[in-house]
Amino acid sequence: MRDGVLIVLPAGIPWVLAALLAFVDGRKRWVGLVGAAGLAASLASLVWLTLVVLREGTVETVAGGWPEGVGISLRADALGVTFAAVSVTVILASMLYEVALGVRWRAFPPLVLLVAAGLTGLFLTGDAFNFYVFFEISMTASFVLAGYREEDYQVRAAFIFAVVNLLGSVVFLIGIAALYSITGSLDMATIASRTDSLDPRSVIVVAAVIFAAFCLKLGLFPFHFWLPAVYVGSHPPVAAILSGALANIGGYGLLRFGGGILPRELAYGSAAVMVLGTASIVYGALQAISRRDTSEVMAYSAIGQVGYILLALGVGGPLGFTAAVLYSVVNSLNKGVVFLAAGLRGPFVGAAFAVGAFSIAGVPPAAGFVGKIAVFKAAIAEDSAVTVALLVVLIFVGSALSFLYSFQVYQRRFLAPREGEKPGPLAARLVVLSLAGLLLALGLWPEPLIYLSGAAAEVLTGAGG
Amino acid sequence: MAVYAALVVAVVFASGTFLLLQRDLTRVVVGIILVSNSAVLFIISAGLTRGAAPILPLEDEGASDPLVQAMALTALVIGFGVAALLLAMVYRLYATHGTIDLEEIAAAEMREAEALERTDDPEREEIPVEEQDPGDGPR
Repeated sequence: MRDGVLIVLPAGIPWVLAALLAFVDGRKRWVGLVGAAGLAASLASLVWLTLVVLREGTVETVAGGWPEGVGISLRADALGVTFAAVSVTVILASMLYEVALGVRWRAFPPLVLLVAAGLTGLFLTGDAFNFYVFFEISMTASFVLAGYREEDYQVRAAFIFAVVNLLGSVVFLIGIAALYSITGSLDMATIASRTDSLDPRSVIVVAAVIFAAFCLKLGLFPFHFWLPAVYVGSHPPVAAILSGALANIGGYGLLRFGGGILPRELAYGSAAVMVLGTASIVYGALQAISRRDTSEVMAYSAIGQVGYILLALGVGGPLGFTAAVLYSVVNSLNKGVVFLAAGLRGPFVGAAFAVGAFSIAGVPPAAGFVGKIAVFKAAIAEDSAVTVALLVVLIFVGSALSFLYSFQVYQRRFLAPREGEKPGPLAARLVVLSLAGLLLALGLWPEPLIYLSGAAAEVLTGAGG
Repeated sequence: MAVYAALVVAVVFASGTFLLLQRDLTRVVVGIILVSNSAVLFIISAGLTRGAAPILPLEDEGASDPLVQAMALTALVIGFGVAALLLAMVYRLYATHGTIDLEEIAAAEMREAEALERTDDPEREEIPVEEQDPGDGPR
């Protein structure tokens, strides 16, 4: 019974609070602070849930007291709670940041809470259709958020974002319906066990459809066209939420559906996955170097960074999945730091941005180094020598390029102090600084993160084989 | 039956995709609605079983699949809500630009952006910020 309540809390708290806060004016400071407190409570319950999961294994409950196999199952395993915790962390930081800056939209706090509720809900579900529903909750809230402040270009960017991502959602829904059609179940574990006995040729089409849908969310190279317009148009905290939290849906979805439910199909298409990842890394880095605007550079950098996740996913196995989880976590924190820091000026902000930039480039002691090392290890474990050589070269070149663009941005934006610029509010700067501090702490003491990623990868390999 | 269902889904999806690629924003919204409805049709056809109504089926006769209907309803509601949101965005763009042609809106935005570069805009970074400082312009 305790577990049943605990698993509902991370999504339930922000959800209920969002409904309540929708009735009051979000521009008032206390409303934003209450929202942030709700997110903090959700994060605290997630941490608790993580501890329970790590100690006692997967926590599972069926909603509404239905017997197992009939009702919708909620399932918290190491993979889900890891993604949920990092997403809520980034959302909480963005919320505090915006409250410090002054919220300008009455609907902002409830929308952010809804994004958080949807995300935690989809990370903690064991039911494929429930996944889709939560996914739509967070996506719809983020469509509205992308138009935050209602500048014209933001509304247009929000429209593009909404249309492209809706198309992705529909494709994903079709994939789920197809999975239901061939397996007769919506429970992820049941689907995973039943697809094993099916003809791989019938499943591979479904796998490709789901893969395309998640790549669209992730903003991977051939599906990236919507991403720069949206991230550049968005307000910094919104860009941080979109890129640091919402993009996790893509990474998590690929891991859960690719690694957990359809592992055989993933292994079948691993070459294609790796080629796409490679293209994404190279394309994102080259485009980022050629851009001037900070948020534009970071938008293209986001395209490049997710390439590493895909690369690790393509390698597969315990090492590959660990690297993919680790890299996703580090990447979303990186994105949170750089997007938030890019919107501010003044003391500490440059330092925070530098930590984020170091982390993106994979320079120790920032956490990005841990992520890069994990991907590197996974690459060396690959069988054929040619692939290993190619991957190693790619990772080095990609890191060198990301070093280049990160510091181009740093130099242009923070190194040359300009006269007459007001520094941002101290509270906002402290939020950015503490997020950067977290990144540094994870880089200096990476054991908990590595252990968590390893446990998450075990969930996948355990379910797959 | 499955062939007809597949055919219907394909036609609806294709017409939706065609409309999505138009410049007119209302057509884009209609395209999205069509595409999401094709997904609903696909869900229905994923569970095309004949049988008694699934409320308390008797032991000997098979019941039709209730799950696909629940899913289709959920997907319909989500599609409806999102369509309303999209239409609100289109209206918002129409109210400011007086047009719903995507390229005309983009052109209008370019003109506005150019006008902004010359005047005060604290949001834009780098060059405009330097230019707007009248006090310390040693160049």
